[in-house]
Amino acid sequence: MRTLPVLTIPLDKLPSLIRTVCGIALFLVAVPPALAAETLTTEEARIRLLPGDLPAAGYFTLRNTGDTDLILVGAQSPAFGNVEMHRSVDRDGVASMQPVEQLELAAGEQIAFAPQGYHLMLMQRARPLAVGEEVEITLLFEDARRLTVTFQTVSPASL
Amino acid sequence: MGKWVVPVLVSLWLTGCGEQEWQTKDISGLMPPLEFTLTDEKGNTVDAERFRGKSTLLYFGFTHCPDVCPTTLARLGTAIRQLDDEIREDTEVLFVSVDPARDDPETLKEYTDAFGSQFVGLTGDKEALDALTRRYRVTYGYGDKDDNGNYDVSHSSAVFAFNGQGEARLLIRDSDPMEAVVADLERLADDA
Repeated sequence: MRTLPVLTIPLDKLPSLIRTVCGIALFLVAVPPALAAETLTTEEARIRLLPGDLPAAGYFTLRNTGDTDLILVGAQSPAFGNVEMHRSVDRDGVASMQPVEQLELAAGEQIAFAPQGYHLMLMQRARPLAVGEEVEITLLFEDARRLTVTFQTVSPASL
Repeated sequence: MGKWVVPVLVSLWLTGCGEQEWQTKDISGLMPPLEFTLTDEKGNTVDAERFRGKSTLLYFGFTHCPDVCPTTLARLGTAIRQLDDEIREDTEVLFVSVDPARDDPETLKEYTDAFGSQFVGLTGDKEALDALTRRYRVTYGYGDKDDNGNYDVSHSSAVFAFNGQGEARLLIRDSDPMEAVVADLERLADDA
């Protein structure tokens, strides 16, 4: 078995322009996930399952501890074919659901996806899910930032 | 001095009358007795007479409702689990689906079973649902279908409670404290 020769050049021998370009490229590749991890936190991420393939609700609290305002534009999950952001509203005792296209999350603020308010509507299960399983959902932001969160599935009868 | 008057009066009122008052909204005399003809989870026709002798909690919803309906049903389930065995067995939650196009008896059974044995799924055709919703002055309606054929259904968010004789007694809302709901369900079991 032959290995291909690998060309290595010491960093300090590179022309400065290339060094700068490489540096920026590295920064772009490596830093956004790190930033996301450092400045976005979630709590109480859970999916309240319903029987069969009835749509489930995803709840969590998302906190922006960074100093940049963010806009949440949606979510996706390998476990569901279709994930939408919704908000439940109650007008004069009549409950209905409204689609939410995007949600601002200012620096230092938090948003609660909680029963009777904002929630992820999780549709078209890719596989059967049981209570107690962990499911990954990726939250998508307008600036292409992403945050993958592990959700715990809970019983329909849990509050 | 004046600032003490209101709290003192309120606490006197609470201690004086607390036991006689319903803690959720009293609708006695404001709504007619429970009457309906619907289809049950086995596909059989059922009317309200079947549930006489039990406290019944009437809620309108639909199964493709991930947030509001399960939250309300889970709250009722939590309250019901806190009742004594005897009272619990004499309390039933009637989940009336206003989305019969998607909620067949089988789906309804699977759905209500997930909340407990006190939950019963019912639905009916437009005529039957209109008659029942009009009787309790509530509305329902359908949103536009999306690309996947999904649609939202608007429905009333409160729960109507009836005593064992089918007389309307209470309107229970999700904003009512759990203790208030439990206390009223206990009292409802002794009502009339």
